[in-house]
Amino acid sequence: MSEESPRILSRELVLILCVLALVVLLALTALFSRMYHKKIHTLADAMFAQGEADEQAGQVKAALTDYRNALAYNPSNPLFQLHLAKALAAAGRGEEARSYLLNLLSESPGSGEVNLELARIAAHNSSLADAMRYYQGAIYGEWHSDPIAMRWQVRRELCDFLLSRGAVKQAAPEVIALQENTPAGDPARLKIVAQLLLRTQQWNRALEVHRTLLAADPNDEESLAGGAQCGFELGQYVTAMEYFDRLPRERREQPDLAYRYDMTRRIFAADPFLSGLSAEARAQRVAGALALAQTRAENCAHQTGQSLEQSPPQTDLQRVYQQGRDLQQDWAPRYLERFPDRLDAAMAYVFSVENASAAACGEAQGDDRALWLLGRSRSVVNQ
Amino acid sequence: MSEAPVVSVTVPVEAVAPAIVDSPAAGQENVRTRWESWMHAVFTLREDRFFLMLAVVIGVFSGLVVVCFRLAIEWTQITLLGASLSPSFPRVVLAPTIAGIVVALLAIHVFSRVRGSGVNQVKAAMYISNGYVPFGTVIGKFFVCALAIGSGQSLGPEDPSLLMGAGIASLLGRSLRLSQEKLRLIAPVGTAAGLAAAFNAPISAVLFVIEEVIGTWSAGVLGAIVLAAVSSVVTMRAFLGPDSLFRVPPFRLAGPGEVLAYAALGVAGGAASLLLLKWIVFARPKMQALPRWTEYFQPAAAGLLIGLIGIRFPQVMGAGYAIVDQAMHGQFVWQLLLLLAALKLLVTGFSFLSGTPGGLFAPTIFIGAMLGGAVGSIEHHFFPGLTATIGTFALVGIGTLFAGFLRTPITSVFMVIELSGNYTAILPVIISTMIAYGISRAYQKVPLFDLLARQDGLLLPSIEERREMTSFVVEDAMRTDGVLVAEPGEHIVEVARRAEANPEAALLLRMRPGEWWLLDRDDVLRLAPDAARTTTPIHAKSKGPIPYLFRDQGLAEALQVMGDWPVLPVASRADLAKLEGILTLADTLHAFRKTPKEEAE
Repeated sequence: MSEESPRILSRELVLILCVLALVVLLALTALFSRMYHKKIHTLADAMFAQGEADEQAGQVKAALTDYRNALAYNPSNPLFQLHLAKALAAAGRGEEARSYLLNLLSESPGSGEVNLELARIAAHNSSLADAMRYYQGAIYGEWHSDPIAMRWQVRRELCDFLLSRGAVKQAAPEVIALQENTPAGDPARLKIVAQLLLRTQQWNRALEVHRTLLAADPNDEESLAGGAQCGFELGQYVTAMEYFDRLPRERREQPDLAYRYDMTRRIFAADPFLSGLSAEARAQRVAGALALAQTRAENCAHQTGQSLEQSPPQTDLQRVYQQGRDLQQDWAPRYLERFPDRLDAAMAYVFSVENASAAACGEAQGDDRALWLLGRSRSVVNQ
Repeated sequence: MSEAPVVSVTVPVEAVAPAIVDSPAAGQENVRTRWESWMHAVFTLREDRFFLMLAVVIGVFSGLVVVCFRLAIEWTQITLLGASLSPSFPRVVLAPTIAGIVVALLAIHVFSRVRGSGVNQVKAAMYISNGYVPFGTVIGKFFVCALAIGSGQSLGPEDPSLLMGAGIASLLGRSLRLSQEKLRLIAPVGTAAGLAAAFNAPISAVLFVIEEVIGTWSAGVLGAIVLAAVSSVVTMRAFLGPDSLFRVPPFRLAGPGEVLAYAALGVAGGAASLLLLKWIVFARPKMQALPRWTEYFQPAAAGLLIGLIGIRFPQVMGAGYAIVDQAMHGQFVWQLLLLLAALKLLVTGFSFLSGTPGGLFAPTIFIGAMLGGAVGSIEHHFFPGLTATIGTFALVGIGTLFAGFLRTPITSVFMVIELSGNYTAILPVIISTMIAYGISRAYQKVPLFDLLARQDGLLLPSIEERREMTSFVVEDAMRTDGVLVAEPGEHIVEVARRAEANPEAALLLRMRPGEWWLLDRDDVLRLAPDAARTTTPIHAKSKGPIPYLFRDQGLAEALQVMGDWPVLPVASRADLAKLEGILTLADTLHAFRKTPKEEAE
């Protein structure tokens, strides 16, 4: 067989020609390739820019077409994919956006931006677990520009989402983390944090933030309102009243504050323990409270068809009411004024009756409610 | 170069070797031969080594040409249809129509061989014209296909690419004056290079060439094919980047229940494959029967129809990879996906049947992706718990249609993995492709490429048929009776007695394990009466050593070994002293003559 016979010369010549042809073809291909890539990158960039312009002009459909065209010429460009996904999500086509985003996520799992978009889609689809996972991915992910601000913003979005879903327990730690990542000198963000703290009913932290805000701007209505709200919820009615007093009347009468302001005023009018009161005024207030509590108990007994005098007592209300019955003489205004040490026992009786009435007949209204709240705050203070 | 037969022929080494080593002259000769061999190996290239080196060169050439081809298609598309994925109205109709006329003129008057399947042209080169692929065809495919596909004809660049690879390989082989045998094998090497660069998928290209072009895992050419495919992909990636053709979001198979979802896709894919196959089977002869003058207008007419459909559905124009990518990202609703699959099936038929040069691979991918996406969307609608994305279904759909339409199941599975760069889809792809392949085979006996070849009057070997041909082994033909085994020390009288008792039996002498000699029955019977007066041992009257076989060896291989020996022993692989049977020429021929019915019995 001829395969063993050397054909050095002829083959070498042909091979040299091959190499020459290869070099020429390589150069030509490189030239064409460079020209082509330049052309398609120009086209892709132009289409992408057009897409951005369309998106800003609110023409989402046109933007989608432009982004798709751009992507056709530069399919692996993550920026194009991300913008297309964002535009799709903005157009309410979350599932289509999700596909591109998952692809991007597989290539860069730590991308904050991609995780955020996926989180928004999951949030839109009411998928709490997915949304939380992607939001967390975004918070701890990479951000190319201003990562601290972006992470703060994402966490705030997560808090909003959780609160909108009524997931207060899950939201609370996120809000706390948000508060800890908010600089004290940034009132705009502090206000947001304060609102979130209010929504998650973290009154102490909220009051602290509002105080910080008020230190910077003592007349800020939102902070005063927030502070008043926190003071009220914490049973710090003096603090609450201080902030209420600094608010314009119109603001105090707005629905979110009106009830609390009214209650605070009633508490202030009924509280015998306020500093600066004369002994007579204290005694008068305790006597008024005793009368109010007694009426409340009688009304409640009537409402529930029970006799307060029944012996032996069967209900809490009967038991509590009868415990104080024999002391009524001792708690007459003149004795209370003379023996101020009886004030505490009398008011404890009032609070017990209000509590028992509330348990038997539901939440009290007006001054009874004020007494009940006062009792609650006193018990918190005592504890 | 022929392969050394892989058979166990017992030729004692000592019987030959001492003759060379013992003689001083022979020793000198041996040293000289070795020196020459060494010089030869160092300063010249043997044919097989040269062939491997050439495969790399072919790969690089093919890679470069395919890169230029793809750039030419893109450039033509931007020039003729504009940069947008949705071309404007006048262009969308005029571009494919006018380009169709130019394509027809070029195909009829300048490049007469550009029409037809590139796969069949390679097979024709391999089996008919000793590996000859005219280089003019390469040039023709390059320009005519770039114009046709770039103008929006629903065809793909892969088939022309593989032919270009084969043409380049053929030209190089001829220029380097390779042996006839190598020239015949060089076309598949180029085919693998061209296809690998076109798909950015070296493994699939290698498998396709083995599965569809050469039909065997021939070690002689496999290395060259792999080298060519890899070098072409490396070259292509240097210019077009390493990215896979499609990007599919990762997924996992949640449970065995999800397999059923892919099985359903396999059924749908099999049906769609059949539809496309039957559409071509039905319409192609009718188109070929039209008067010759119509050939000038057929591509233009196809272009016009495609353009008209393209006004509303531009997605079906051209190769459509960008659209497949969109489908994989769930960008279309299932109704549109189904419609696009149906329209693509239609327009691909128009383009292909009109004689416009171009490949069917890309349209198959397109239809598969759309169908997969549609089936996935529908299944998601009814079973929202399915974890796989629409993209995964689209990806699996590609492999499914590929297997059903082109009838290359192994290539289909690996192609999906390579196209997506995603291994997670392998189980769904296997399930779906096998179902589609089975359906396609059950209702369309002749595979596409064989069908096209027959319609063109070419009698090319059917790889699918060849793959399924019964391969006879020694066990099918050997006999376990009719043989007498004698031992070296055995008395000749005894042997003669046994030979007389079994008049038809062959006489074998077991010298030692793995060494068999043949005894002549007449000699034994003639010498037996004088046995008392002779000391001639029995083995002195034997011939050998003779080759021996194993029961699992191929019969064709056994025939090669048999030579002039009337009978060969079939030994046990576990114990070379143990005789499992004998094989004669008559037995061998009888086995080949067996009908399938007899075989089944």
